[in-house]
Amino acid sequence: MVDAPEKQSPLRDLAMPRQIGTEANVELTERLCDSLVQVQAWPNSVGKVEKILKTLKRCVTMPSGPGRWLIEGEEEGLEEGLRRELTDDLGAVTGLTHARVVISISGPRATRVLASGIALDFDESNFAVGSTQLAHHHEIGLTIHRLAEDQFDLYVFTSLSRSFWQWIEKASAEYGCRIV
Amino acid sequence: MRLTCPYCGSRDHQEFTYRGDATAVRPALNNTSIDDHNAYIFDRSNPDGVHQELWNHTSGCRTHLVVERNTVTHEVLSCKPVGPFARKLK
Ligand SMILES: [Zn+2]
Repeated sequence: MVDAPEKQSPLRDLAMPRQIGTEANVELTERLCDSLVQVQAWPNSVGKVEKILKTLKRCVTMPSGPGRWLIEGEEEGLEEGLRRELTDDLGAVTGLTHARVVISISGPRATRVLASGIALDFDESNFAVGSTQLAHHHEIGLTIHRLAEDQFDLYVFTSLSRSFWQWIEKASAEYGCRIV
Repeated sequence: MRLTCPYCGSRDHQEFTYRGDATAVRPALNNTSIDDHNAYIFDRSNPDGVHQELWNHTSGCRTHLVVERNTVTHEVLSCKPVGPFARKLK
């Protein structure tokens, strides 16, 4: 078997650590996933797949559609493990480790920055801490995982991430932003 | 205009893709009539009033919906999921 190619940052120079403005009301970070997998259950196997996903350790499981989940694992090999357990009669497993980059945004103005460009109700009654919402910013699809009131992980298509970063950096700059 | 996706909730219509008239029925596979296929693809009644339309939540959960919409007032009367997961979403 050929080894998977080494992961490369799609943002590179754009996400170089620096300070924009004097304050740091927003913090931006790029993260490459160790393992990112999409699982799609069939309509009659959703319950069985859910049971298998509950046994996963050191993983974040984010619902991304009917019978569908996006799973980030801290260890490589998540995809192979899921492929062994989730046979074709249960669902489909798709490796997305190289297809998404995570842009993390946090700080007292993080929610305001996102709300300024994404048509989504960020009130906690609609978007609770720990939950996931699917949305887009100018046609760039986003999976948004809320980690805390003012902390989000945005799963962005690798090939469109530079364009998205240019917006989020400009939108953050107005409040003072630190890139780490 | 906003549409209420049964999976994602109330969202701006820009997240959705219009997929055409939901009342058009594809002719049977063994129907070789050019006129029937032509009518299925091109002929639309364009009503002023309540219309059933297929939309897909492309920037969200990718569920197909049948949206009942008034073409004069743009009032959205209902958004119902269709496809293999529809029963689970109702
Ligand atoms: Zn949806």
